[in-house]
Order: sequence, then C-alpha cells, then structure tokens
Amino acid sequence: MSKTASFRAFAGIALVGAMALGITACSGGSSAESTGAAGSDGELTTIGFVAVGPEGGWRTANEQNIQDSFSKENGFDLKYAPATNGDQNSQITAFTSFIDEGVDAILLSATEATGWESVLERAQEAEIPVVLLDRGIEPNDTSLYTSHIAPDNVGISASAAEWANAQFPDGANYVVLEGPPGLSVVNDRNKGWDETIDANMKKLESQSANWSTEEAKSVFETILKANNNDVQLVFAQNDEMGLGAALAVEEAGLKPGTDVKIITIDGTKAALTALSEGRLSFVAEYNPLFGDTAIDVVKSALAGETVESDIVVPSVTFDSPEAATEALPTRQF
Amino acid sequence: MSAPTPPRASIPRSGARQFAVSVVRQPYIWAVVALLLLIVINLIKDPGYLGISVNATTGNLSGNVIDILRASAPIMMIAIGMTLVIATRGIDLSVGSVMAVSGAVSMEFMNSSGDGSVGGAILAAAFAIGISAVLGAVNGVLVSIVGLQPFITTLITMLAGRGLAKVITSGQNTSASNEPFRWIANGTVFGFPVVFVIGAVIVAIVAVLIRRTALGLMIESIGINPKAARMAGIRPIGILISVYIVSGILAGIAGIFSTASVMTVEVAKTGLSAEMDAILAVVIGGTSLAGGKFSLTGSVIGALLIATLDKTIVFLAIPSSATPAFKALVIVVICLLQSRRVRALFNQRRAPRTPSAPTAPAPTAPRTTRKETVSA
Repeated sequence: MSKTASFRAFAGIALVGAMALGITACSGGSSAESTGAAGSDGELTTIGFVAVGPEGGWRTANEQNIQDSFSKENGFDLKYAPATNGDQNSQITAFTSFIDEGVDAILLSATEATGWESVLERAQEAEIPVVLLDRGIEPNDTSLYTSHIAPDNVGISASAAEWANAQFPDGANYVVLEGPPGLSVVNDRNKGWDETIDANMKKLESQSANWSTEEAKSVFETILKANNNDVQLVFAQNDEMGLGAALAVEEAGLKPGTDVKIITIDGTKAALTALSEGRLSFVAEYNPLFGDTAIDVVKSALAGETVESDIVVPSVTFDSPEAATEALPTRQF
Repeated sequence: MSAPTPPRASIPRSGARQFAVSVVRQPYIWAVVALLLLIVINLIKDPGYLGISVNATTGNLSGNVIDILRASAPIMMIAIGMTLVIATRGIDLSVGSVMAVSGAVSMEFMNSSGDGSVGGAILAAAFAIGISAVLGAVNGVLVSIVGLQPFITTLITMLAGRGLAKVITSGQNTSASNEPFRWIANGTVFGFPVVFVIGAVIVAIVAVLIRRTALGLMIESIGINPKAARMAGIRPIGILISVYIVSGILAGIAGIFSTASVMTVEVAKTGLSAEMDAILAVVIGGTSLAGGKFSLTGSVIGALLIATLDKTIVFLAIPSSATPAFKALVIVVICLLQSRRVRALFNQRRAPRTPSAPTAPAPTAPRTTRKETVSA
C-alpha cells in the first residue's frame, strides 16, 4: 500500500513538473512567434476554406477567385480544403479540423444543403465566424452563420424565363435540364423559372442531367425523339448541360439557335463562345467573382461589426451573339 | 429427399427444342424478358419507337434503337472487364475512374497538340489505353503478388484515379477538336453506330480468347477454388494480373467512347458511378459475385438492359426525382427473379407441365406423382 502511495506521489510530482516545463515551453514559443509576426508587419489572418473542388468551369473560377483574393499580400493565410468527390462527410471533417486548429474564420461552400447544424454550432461555440459562399444551407437558420454571399439564383432564372416569354409570345414546348435533385441551387433555379414562365409555355419534361455535358446530350437526344423534334426551347440550369443539348440538337439534324433555342445559366467562356457562334441563345451569368465582397465581410465580422446575413452578388445576362463577342475578351472564367 | 433423377432429363428431345430449353434455363433469361418488356412499354407510349429512319440533313441512320446501341457500348466494355475480374473472385471498383483518366489523357493530348488528323486521334487513343493498362496492372500486382483484397485495392485506385484525372487536366473540364476522334462515338458504319461496332468486335475478340482457349476455364477455376487451381498447375498470379489489365484496358476504351461523344472530359463526371453500372450489368447477366462461372453473353445483355432502362426513363418522361427509384425497382425485380430460391419456386410449379409426351413412368417424388395422375 505505502509503496503504491509513494509511487503515486512521485508520479504526481513528475507530472506537475512536466506540465510546468510544457507551459514554459509553450509561452516561450508563443512569445517568439508573436515577436516574429510583429516583425513581418502584422499577423496573417488564417482562413479555412471548405470548398467543393473541381466540378466545372464556374466552380473553378469561383474557388480560384477566392484563393486569389485571400492572398498573403492582403494579409490572409488561406487553407483550401476541397471535398473528395463531392462528399459531404469529407467537408464536415475538414470543417471540424479547422475549428480544432482554431482558424480565425471559415468559408463554406456546402456540397449538400442539409446536415450542417451541429458543426456550425461548434464553430459558434469556438467564436469562429462562418461565411457561406454560393451554396446555402437548409433549414436556413441565419443565427448559425455570419453571412451568405451568393448571386441570386431565383432572380437569375426568373430573368431567363422573362426572356423566354418575350421570345415566344404565342407559347412553345420546352424542356428543363436540371442538376441533381435536392440541391438548393436546383430548387431555386426551378422556383424562379416556374414562377415567371407564362402559362402558354408547355413544359414537356424536366430531367436531371447531373450538370454533365455527356448526360445532357444523351438525355436530350431521347427527349427529341420522344417528341418528334417538337421542342422549341431548352432551359439548361448550367452551361455544360446546355452545350450537351446543343450537340444533341445538331446530331438530330436541327439547328440550335433557330430550331431549338437554348438558355443556360453560369456564363463561362465556353458558353459565351457558343453564344457568339449562335449555338446557344441566352446565357445568364451567375457571377463567381465575389472574393472582394467576401474579404469585406470577413474583415468586418472579425472586427465585431454586424454584417448583413444575405448578400446578393450582381449578375448580368447575355442575349445576343454580339453581347457575347463583346464580353469574351475580358472574360475571366 | 431420396428422389431419383428427374424424368425431364431422361426424355429425348429434338435439337431446336433442346436449344430453346437451354436458353430458357440461362440465368439471364429474365434480363432478356425485362429488355423486351421495356421495349414493349416504349412501343405502347409511341408505336413508332423501333422505327429507324435516315436523317435528311446528316445522312445518318437515326432512331431510338441506334441511341440505345450507342449508349450501351461503354457500359458493355466495363461490364466485360468486370465479368472477368468477378469470375476470379475479385472486383474492380476503379473502372469509372480509369474512364476519367483515359478521357483526360486523350483530351489533354489532343488539346495541347492541336492535331486534328487521324494520326492524332490514334495516338491519343493509344496513349489513353496505355495508361489505363498501367492502372489495371497496378491493381493486378497489388491483388496477386502483394495479396491485398481486391475491394480495397481497387477502391484506392478509384480514388487515386479520379485525382490523377484532375491533375492531368489541372481540374478543368478539357475540350478538344478532332474529327476522327469524334467519329468514334458519333459516326456510323453501314448504318450502325461506330461505338457499337467497335464494342461488339472487342467483345467477340475477348470471347474467342477466353472461350476457345483454356483461359476461361483457368479463370473460373481460380474463382471457384484458388488453392485447388494452384495444385492443378494453374499459375494464379499471371492470370490475375492479366485479368485486371484487361479490365483496365476495356475501361480505358469506355472512357474514350464516352468523352468522344461530347469531345470534352468532365473530370468530376466522366465515368462517375460507372462501376455500379458495370457490376449491375454483370449481376443481371447471371454471373455470381462469389466468383467462378461467368457469362459474357449475360453481361452484354445486362449492359443493353441498363442502357435501355436509362433511355426509357427519359422517353417516358418520368420525373427526375423518381428516376433512381424506378431504376432500382426494375433491377431489384430482375435480381429477385434470378435468385436461386425464387427460380426453384418457379421450376417446382412448372415441372409437371414440361414433359409434353409423358411416356416415362411416374417418378416416386410424391408431389409430381399426384399432379401427373391428375393431368393424365
């Protein structure tokens, strides 16, 4: 008994000693660090960016813009964590490890809208501001995050529908090529379109082509056959699917732009080139370049100021080959 | 039960009848039935579904059947490779990623060389298939020599492969223009889509290599009992490596097919969940995931069925949110009908009616005896 007791006492002293050593080592380290940082003109703000990763032209432009904006020159140290094959789990893992690292702020583009409550609460407990980029969360509880910066999906697809109404005052048959069901982007783009499109426009079919050119081509060639080519309009919810539909139209011996008009959303270079060649008819931009807005939001959040919870990025539309040709040389994405 | 040999086996039959019976007894018979059923459903929606016409502007044959053949070609390729791998008790989850790598290599190559000639297309395809073969070889070596589990090994190549595709194209969807390469997926020879013709030729080559030599038997024996196969003098290492290489090459060809169709590689989308389609085609074709006996014909039919199913969903305008459920439903039904127990149930009920000339004496099996006396 007494032997174990004395051992415990010894172990306790040893532990305290080790801790004391550790603490001094720690403080020594941190003081050295702070002096170093002070030497290099102000400390860098660490930002964790939980991103979607390579997905298409738009996403690449958006994430590149964010990475370029939060540069070392601007006083940021951005840690970029793209999802593994669009998997939400890998995003949640990245998000929690950013919390554990104690970054100053987190930027999040969620692959799935739901299931973020618990990790966002953890970030709140750790007092780390979270800024949602592009993709929102559902249910949209604004108390869980600082701000949501995105172009207005509903408004953009409504503007596309307005153009379609003006083009076909006597009505037409149309097809919607949507993204994977369940995404907030898809729901919003459907909502804006359905609310605005005229009643004399007849929706033949709404199919998912998973944002993919190849799938859109395959889907639309079958839709054309099922309706004996009697389709006048395609509303493709991204550029890639619109380009796939254009290929299917050409394959069927029709002319995209005259026989079948194609609307796309995003406004990447590839789509604008196709619009300038007359293969697409209307491209609504979904502006990916909002890095500067994100910097402002992060700075004011860190300074403790109140930030608007919903910030809309302005976007433009292109309705003619001329407009596309004009915009192409300065297109960044 | 101590029932003697069933009476059906002892009845002599004509050749044609025997053939018909042997076809009906194939495990993939339900896939054929489902295929016909889907076509009938499409015909009900549009009586002209099977019609093939010459397109006035492009001069090519066009029709739903042509589209189905075209869409089935890539699935057929990966399904054939998957069949061989599964027959050795393995699995190849990397086929979809290898498709992406192959597409990325060929597009990037043609994009940077800017070569629109036939030579450029052949070089790009050869390069893509070569890299796919290397990926297959990596799988084969890890499985056979290192002895890793096929599931884990190919899962690693699946993740690494898509990463590799992203590195090759620096994360961008890459397009290229090369008319001969585009022709592979969109052109026709003698009215048939080129992809399907190439696919059919490749299937025929593989079938001859496998079935006209002892290779098929060796693959089956490895799948049934690797130890016994080794005792019998079969070297599993060489066969395993070549099976995975073949699967890699076929996936590479599938990647060329699917990127050539739009002349764009979409690094995150090309070949996505293609391994699932391949495994489904194999299972629908009646090859057991436990290895051993395999059916190449079955897998080809499975690939055709999946392509038809995908096209039918769009043709019938099934809402996109319901498509996965519809696809799953059809496949569950086919798999159920193929399961040994359900088939046994069917056979039991059909057994008394099959002998058309009941000359054989009534067997001792009680159930059959009762029914035969009733019918006689």
